[in-house]
Amino acid sequence: MTAESTSIPLPPANAKESIICCEYCPVACGYKVYTWDLGTQGGPAAADNALGVDFPTELLSGRWISETMHTTTIVDGELKNVIVVPDGDIEVVNVGGTHSVRGGALAKKLYNPNGLTNDRFLYPMLRVQGNLVPISWEAAIDLVARLSQYTLDNFDELAWGMKIYSYQFYENVYAASKLAFGDIGTPNYSPHHAPAEGDDVPGLSDCGIDAFSAAFEDDKEADVLFISGSDPYETKTVRFTTWQQPGGAKIIYVDPRKTFTAAYAEANGGIHLQLMPGTDTCLYNAISREIITQGWEDAEFIAANAASRTELDGEGSWRRQMFGLSFNEYRDFLFSNDDFTLQGAESETGVPADKIRAAAEMMTGGTGPRPKATILFEKGVYWSHNYENTASIGSMAVLIGSSGQPGRAISRMGGHQRGGQKAAGYPMDKSPHEYKGNKVEMDTERWFAEGKTRFRWIVGTNWIGAMGASRALAAAAERLTSVGPPVTSTDPDLAYAALTERMDNGGTVIVHQEIYENDSTPFADIILAAGAWGEDNYARNNAERRLRLYEKIADPPGEAKSDWEIFAAVGKAMGFAGYDWADTNEIFEEAAPRSSGGRRDYVALVEKAQADGVRGHDLLRTFGTKGLQTPISLEGGEFVETVRQHADFTFKSNSGKANFVLSDWEAVKERNAILGPVDDELWVTNGRVNALWNNLSDFTRRRISQDRWPMNFLEISPNDATARNIVSGDLLSIESDNVLDQLGNKTKGGFTAVAYVSDIVPDGVTYSYFLYPKQPANSVTPGDSNLQPINLRYNFKLGKGRIKKIGTTELTETMSFAPRNLVPG
Amino acid sequence: MPNMTRREFVYLGAATGAVLAAGAALPLAILTRDAEGNAVGAAVFFPEKRVASLGDLEIGVPVMFDYPFEGQASMLVKLGEQVPNGIGPDGDVVAFSRICTHMGCELTGYQAEHQVLGPCPCHFSTFDLIHGGQVVLGQATQSLPQIMISLDGETINANAVVGLVYGYADTLDEGVNA
Repeated sequence: MTAESTSIPLPPANAKESIICCEYCPVACGYKVYTWDLGTQGGPAAADNALGVDFPTELLSGRWISETMHTTTIVDGELKNVIVVPDGDIEVVNVGGTHSVRGGALAKKLYNPNGLTNDRFLYPMLRVQGNLVPISWEAAIDLVARLSQYTLDNFDELAWGMKIYSYQFYENVYAASKLAFGDIGTPNYSPHHAPAEGDDVPGLSDCGIDAFSAAFEDDKEADVLFISGSDPYETKTVRFTTWQQPGGAKIIYVDPRKTFTAAYAEANGGIHLQLMPGTDTCLYNAISREIITQGWEDAEFIAANAASRTELDGEGSWRRQMFGLSFNEYRDFLFSNDDFTLQGAESETGVPADKIRAAAEMMTGGTGPRPKATILFEKGVYWSHNYENTASIGSMAVLIGSSGQPGRAISRMGGHQRGGQKAAGYPMDKSPHEYKGNKVEMDTERWFAEGKTRFRWIVGTNWIGAMGASRALAAAAERLTSVGPPVTSTDPDLAYAALTERMDNGGTVIVHQEIYENDSTPFADIILAAGAWGEDNYARNNAERRLRLYEKIADPPGEAKSDWEIFAAVGKAMGFAGYDWADTNEIFEEAAPRSSGGRRDYVALVEKAQADGVRGHDLLRTFGTKGLQTPISLEGGEFVETVRQHADFTFKSNSGKANFVLSDWEAVKERNAILGPVDDELWVTNGRVNALWNNLSDFTRRRISQDRWPMNFLEISPNDATARNIVSGDLLSIESDNVLDQLGNKTKGGFTAVAYVSDIVPDGVTYSYFLYPKQPANSVTPGDSNLQPINLRYNFKLGKGRIKKIGTTELTETMSFAPRNLVPG
Repeated sequence: MPNMTRREFVYLGAATGAVLAAGAALPLAILTRDAEGNAVGAAVFFPEKRVASLGDLEIGVPVMFDYPFEGQASMLVKLGEQVPNGIGPDGDVVAFSRICTHMGCELTGYQAEHQVLGPCPCHFSTFDLIHGGQVVLGQATQSLPQIMISLDGETINANAVVGLVYGYADTLDEGVNA
């Protein structure tokens, strides 16, 4: 029997209404929040409830309140009723109030002192003789500031590191980067998903195309959608169900797995290009070569917009100089390698030649009219072979003119929302790492594993589980935090003495700023209890650059503080100026000039707010859940938004032209030979499923998610399962003796999972959730950034392992093992 | 059938199974609560309705009916595999609401091969009837409401609903009994 309620309290007509957007995927659906006193409720008549709708509501009303949309949480010091419901009036993003399985349970994210979220960190803590014990904020801030200063005084700024989410709102990221880049000046700073700062899609950027240039309406406008390395139904649900599927475009879907979207594509006139892991570059280049062979390229677009050799020679960036190609050079490159023939590509990628050719024809219209084709991609592309894949898919877009035009674009689909508004530039000159004599962002995980980071501040991420070779990284963390004397007292001076002695002895001090305990917490010396989504006023963009205000709807629990407050307190304690913000609006306004000229440019909003004598946040609030599509400008007192970028065919390069970019497939093949499975190993690739999100900090505390996914799973094909005597529900070990760690050494990795036997994966390929607590798939993915030296990204999608049944579970009684790729007949 | 309102129902704290065994004739709801104070495993009893005859059932062939109110599409099916709450000599007969818990569209496609209901024609949620209507894949945030059924000789009767039906703030909100 599943857990359900028989009734949901309705908000009375006078309930307080707030606006917010979803916390999770980059679509960022708009929601409304209603807050009211316990012991009261509205009635089913429209006039008697805050939603203004009669209950029972009609189907597709977008105004029903499910059990997962209600909770009780603390607001202004009192326990209140709160519902978080899709905005039924919204005309963008989640039009009509639809939602995903994730967003439909946002209320369950909120702190409930009597509920499943009541294990939030409530106060700062210090590890004393192995146990985390509460301390005061005064002591915690003092310790963090003094330990930071000690690091700078006795080592250097490269020994002071920060590992932090890249997305958790403009205001927090701005405050963090002001401290790390602006005042401390360290390059030892990296986002939650990578060992180094920098561009996730450098190949596309070198094409001169912005990573988030398209609008959701382009998906609906397109005749053909080429979607690679991202399952929109699973992970960007509302973008699929509201913009892609209703638009009726034929879908060319590229993925080793036959997911729902793959099956949907095939059932609706599209194509599934089921390539083997690690072969994207070859596939894209083969499609491009076929297009040129048949004369199907957009010659007019190329002639008008593609850079010449002379223009490329004038490029300022070393990468564009090194890899940029004119059209003729690009054509010669494609025809120089037989792997890019239809037959060669079939051999390399496993995709039948006729499907490659059909994709080329579908994208271009062949000899018929040119369709509007949009190319969308995400982590399956850039966490496989980063530079080569993003360069080859970007070049394919230039070849067919898919940029800057309605229904004709190339864009990332996004992994999370876009909140990375930095306060200062990355100090590249201080980075110790380089590629062929050119500075690249510092690999902070390699630096850590080498023992060169003496102080590391981990903010809002399960750092250990999120990095490649996670077991080896955990061992390094264990080793480095075990050096020297333990802290034996909560006395700040005694703790400071012990921790600085550890630094002197070659160890590392770790500060963990978080909302819940996770797999990285055991290595933390100091815990800083943080606030989260809905616990302060924040701003953030979604994947079509829509800037919205996320209003505060609840108090941070206990003594927890908003992240920006913690950064500001440490900055002030270290004697730095410029941290006297009264609230997040002051940061939002201060940060605006830093957005100038970029995709987030909201300078006009703040300028108008200040001219009108209102706060920037308050002006943004007036645009509700629709927000403003950045970059924005002001003309005649009205905001001019940017639906899609490059609409004037100006590209982000020195010449303003678009570039073709070299993608070194031979280098990829060498890497695949190192990374690929051998003997009885299988590929162990990984990603998301729609009922879970990231490190599951919310989802292990959400009944529906735990009913569905009570432990990590491993999809394995029927043939591979039979060969190993495995059936669904068995407990599996996934082990590898050949995981390249942060130092490039071969190490062991492994995790356990429940078997999910399914033809969603082909023979030879398995799939697991990437960041399940205690069962991290990243323990068998490489952590050696030398494999991708151009921009130091991990090959997260290219894990491997031996799969072995080690027992059975009783999960077949409670967990569905039905196919997850059934589509309407 | 008369309109039924919440005022006609009695809330008890007994176990669902005990009431089913006793063949409760009165509409009532039985609640348990989780750590958050939310009602869980709650069966709300409605007037009994005959929905099928055991001897007429074929494995994998659903029987459609409305319950508890008119317009609340439901279905009964002999799964061919014993499941919790299944009735009949093989313990494999179950019934569920066919109203998608995502946005209220009517689920029509029972796939006997996989014992799932769906995908929903609107946003493609699919529900596993072996596992209590659990969401296999999709956007619904709760399982399908299960219709509790009982056997009286050869007659299968619907007695109660577990779970909130889309659109309703309360399972006991007014409606015309089916």
